[in-house]
Amino acid sequence: MTDTAERMAQNQKQVAISEFFEKNKHFLGFDSLVRSLITAVKEAVDNSLDACEEARILPDIRVKVTKIDDKKDIIELQTEDNGPGIPKRSIEKVFGQLLFGSRFHAIRQSRGQQGIGITGVVMYSQLTTGRKTHVRSKIATETSAAVVDIGLDTRKNKATKANEDREIWELPDGSLKEHGLEITCRMKAKYQRGRQSVYQYLRMTSIVNPHADITFEDPDGETHHWPRVTERLPRKVESIKPHPHGIHLGTLQRMCTEATDNRMTSFLYKNFSGVSTRAAKELLAAADIDEKAKPKSLKPENYRALIEAFQGERLLNEKPVKLLNPPTNCLSPIEELLIKKGLSKTIDSRFVTTMTRAPTVTQGNPFQVEVGLIFGDGMAADKPVEVLRFANRVPLMYQQGGCLLTKAIESVDWRQYGLDQAGGRGVPKGPAAILIHLASTNVQFTSEAKEALADNEEVLDEVRKAMLEMGRGLRKHLEKKKKMAKTQEKFELVNDIIPAIAAKSAAILDRPVPDLSGSITKIMGAVLAESETVWNKETKQTDVTITLFNYTSRARAYTILAAWPEKEGATMEGNEHGGRKEATGVWAWKLDTLDPGQTFTLAYSLSGLEKGDWTDTDVFFRGSQDVIGATKMDEKLLDEIRRREEVLSEEESAEEDDEPDDDDESDATVEAEPPRTAGQQTLMGYGSDV
Amino acid sequence: MMSASHTPDETKAALHEVVTEMYDKIVKGEAPTMTLPVRTKNNIGFDNALGVYKYGKKKSVRDATSLGSAKQLLRALHVVEFIEEMIDAGKSSTLREMYYISESWGLGKFSSQNESNNLAEDLEAVTKCMREDFKLRPEEDGARMIGNLTLRELNRRGEWMRINARDDVGDSGYGVPYNVEEEKIELVEHDINFIMAIETGGMFDRLIENGFDEAYKCGLLHLKGQPARSTRRILKRMSEEWDLPVVVFLDGDPWSFRIFASIAYGAIKTAHISEYLATPTATYLGITADDIEAYDLPSDDLSTRDVDALKAELTDPRFADAWWQEQIKMMLELGKKAEQQSLAKYGLDFVTDTYLPEKLADLGLA
Repeated sequence: MTDTAERMAQNQKQVAISEFFEKNKHFLGFDSLVRSLITAVKEAVDNSLDACEEARILPDIRVKVTKIDDKKDIIELQTEDNGPGIPKRSIEKVFGQLLFGSRFHAIRQSRGQQGIGITGVVMYSQLTTGRKTHVRSKIATETSAAVVDIGLDTRKNKATKANEDREIWELPDGSLKEHGLEITCRMKAKYQRGRQSVYQYLRMTSIVNPHADITFEDPDGETHHWPRVTERLPRKVESIKPHPHGIHLGTLQRMCTEATDNRMTSFLYKNFSGVSTRAAKELLAAADIDEKAKPKSLKPENYRALIEAFQGERLLNEKPVKLLNPPTNCLSPIEELLIKKGLSKTIDSRFVTTMTRAPTVTQGNPFQVEVGLIFGDGMAADKPVEVLRFANRVPLMYQQGGCLLTKAIESVDWRQYGLDQAGGRGVPKGPAAILIHLASTNVQFTSEAKEALADNEEVLDEVRKAMLEMGRGLRKHLEKKKKMAKTQEKFELVNDIIPAIAAKSAAILDRPVPDLSGSITKIMGAVLAESETVWNKETKQTDVTITLFNYTSRARAYTILAAWPEKEGATMEGNEHGGRKEATGVWAWKLDTLDPGQTFTLAYSLSGLEKGDWTDTDVFFRGSQDVIGATKMDEKLLDEIRRREEVLSEEESAEEDDEPDDDDESDATVEAEPPRTAGQQTLMGYGSDV
Repeated sequence: MMSASHTPDETKAALHEVVTEMYDKIVKGEAPTMTLPVRTKNNIGFDNALGVYKYGKKKSVRDATSLGSAKQLLRALHVVEFIEEMIDAGKSSTLREMYYISESWGLGKFSSQNESNNLAEDLEAVTKCMREDFKLRPEEDGARMIGNLTLRELNRRGEWMRINARDDVGDSGYGVPYNVEEEKIELVEHDINFIMAIETGGMFDRLIENGFDEAYKCGLLHLKGQPARSTRRILKRMSEEWDLPVVVFLDGDPWSFRIFASIAYGAIKTAHISEYLATPTATYLGITADDIEAYDLPSDDLSTRDVDALKAELTDPRFADAWWQEQIKMMLELGKKAEQQSLAKYGLDFVTDTYLPEKLADLGLA
């Protein structure tokens, strides 16, 4: 009898754990065969990225998907990283225990807010194929790697180990692996291409993790590689204390009962961000609580009153208590230039504009919005633009329609910025991709599936503002492109077509070919500038040529100015015509008089850049007659830029002496960095062309 | 009988004038140009002497100051050169062949066949030559004809064949060749009272099956939509040489009105040769706008394009007379259009037993 009872209990446990999986598979991410594989990759890659980030290692990540049994949908997934590895004794904890980890109470931006982590993958593999997950881990201080097969004892609900061993981890090139982790598991899953696929997930991950080098071997044997585009690791994120605006009753209660502080004033001041000693006193006064009260002895009505004071519903002197915003150094934005690089490496295109908005706060939670727009020939012109959504550097791949970020895109009338959009609503159409990244300490999703962001006025407003600004940049780019096409036409006209007409008509009439200069001057009646910016593979430089053609009947004199990426660290080489610096990023050459029909070419190279960093050069001129293909220098704007540079350089030197000290725990009033001005003003207006 | 043709030397001289205009402009230090009559409805007027619509005095100058028109000029030069080569070699080509030959013209190559067709018409309009003079043949296949009429056609072996379009042909009728000038076709004799030109093949076949041509002693001509030049030309020749009335039976929509105008008054695109192609005595039989109501025909709503076309017709000089203005306005008011074959609503014989006899009686032809 006891035997049966135990067997039953055993069965019950087993049922319970399978049931747990079955019931929760939607929010665990294992609800379909396709999604299960994506989720597994996601858990593994997120872990790798987090581990590398914490250990300050530039991540090299390899993902391999192999079809084992096509009919039964059995797939093997292998992931490998160069992270710190996991000490042997911790392996079973990391892989075999539900909800292991320390992310739950920290208030900071973190990737792992989803699912139950890598344990879910181990469990899913075991439940669908009965196989254990093979782990190989090497830490720097040991010479050999630990290997072990991890499974789950569904009865005791803990990890089981098998085939524990140590081995030398040799890499394909014969060298030894210094540190890192490799996971191999088999599961019932389906590999699929398209918008919701492992490929797309890794591609998107690579865009928002420009510091990572990601390689993907797909089941068809094809290898996809997204190289690292920056050596800079994401800023280390700091944990922050909760802000009164974002606190709920239960949390406050728990904090009070756990508090070790003797007085309410110091409790508020020490455990919350945005609360100065003065604000603490004011909050207590508004809530009718004695400053000297012990946090542990608060009564239920005190909690409620305090929450009301937090929310500004209880007034002091008829005004809500003023609180400082929470610090925003807990956020780690990707930053404009890196988004640009990330986008450029996955999508080959001419125009990219990106922007990182200043951090701001909603309901006591700091958040920051970053957007990018890439436009060009590589993408389909008659399809809706690709929407790339991210929350805390994690790609969101499902439920696009219901997501706040999509709604923000849809709320913009893109027609005025040169994209097609039926009725000025919905996701616009055109050869473009729009990236939106929300970095926040508290990302609100519409559901447990954590694939769509919930509505929030402030976030929507920030995203919308960023969209509008990018839209303006796009319109500028399209206008410029149109102008360039026109110039190109003029060149074809006078260089190719008119000479052909002259030759052919002369041949038909059997007369000599007439001189063309008169006709050409008459047709053009203008000075033309043509600029070319090309990447030189041999020299690893960006070669720029600017050619000026005088197609007028008079001699002309000009000063030509060109924008160049000085701020991005480029240097100018081989600039034989000298010239001088007009402002940061603006070079000027005073040219000799150009006679009618004469041509003059300026040439220089830019070094210190990578391919794709600088693909187009804006040319400006000073002179009386218009130059087609160049923009008349806006002297006022140039002065403005010079003035701003002076101010900035003064500020920079001042900042150096005044490093804020983050370690000072008691200093809750330290504000985050001053809000940056939105966008960057350049000679072409806001936004920038690549 | 008038003749459209020019001698090879006349043709070459006329083409050289076009080339000289460009050449001289370059010598003068100006942008090369090509001057041609404006080929829109704003530049057609009724020619009292000829009884058809012709281009007026408005000229447009195509100059090489934009890439598009400069390319047009270059293409024109290539076409001129090509025509001269064909004249000298005693060859001819279709417009489509010329379009493909232009592949080797480099910058002067055509980007669509429409473009090459238009340019051939441009050169006709400027030089007053016909494309037959240019040794260019159309691709279009001509119409079909049935009825008790007899003509002689010069066949490929160089023999004149005598053909009766009732007794010597099958159900598909006599096929009209692309060249219907006297050197190819001779109109011999007939025993019919009038000719009926019909827009759709379905209706043409319906009338044949119902024996309408015999019953009403008429010749039937299938237009195949917008009629080819040769179709319009043979209609004109029969109408003039045999002195026969011509009635036109089309769908009841704005596009049919245009087909009729091109038959009776001259087409806007070929107004330079209206006197060779138009049959001014032709009469519009139906479907008229009032037929739609009078016979309660199944109809479709006018599309935006239809409405725009009707509105454009209101200001087209060819539709300036009171009857057309009324028809167009009526159709706009109704907001409806109807196909010829909608008459089948009342049975397959309705068109031959009731509709056509009634309409022809109005014209005194039945």
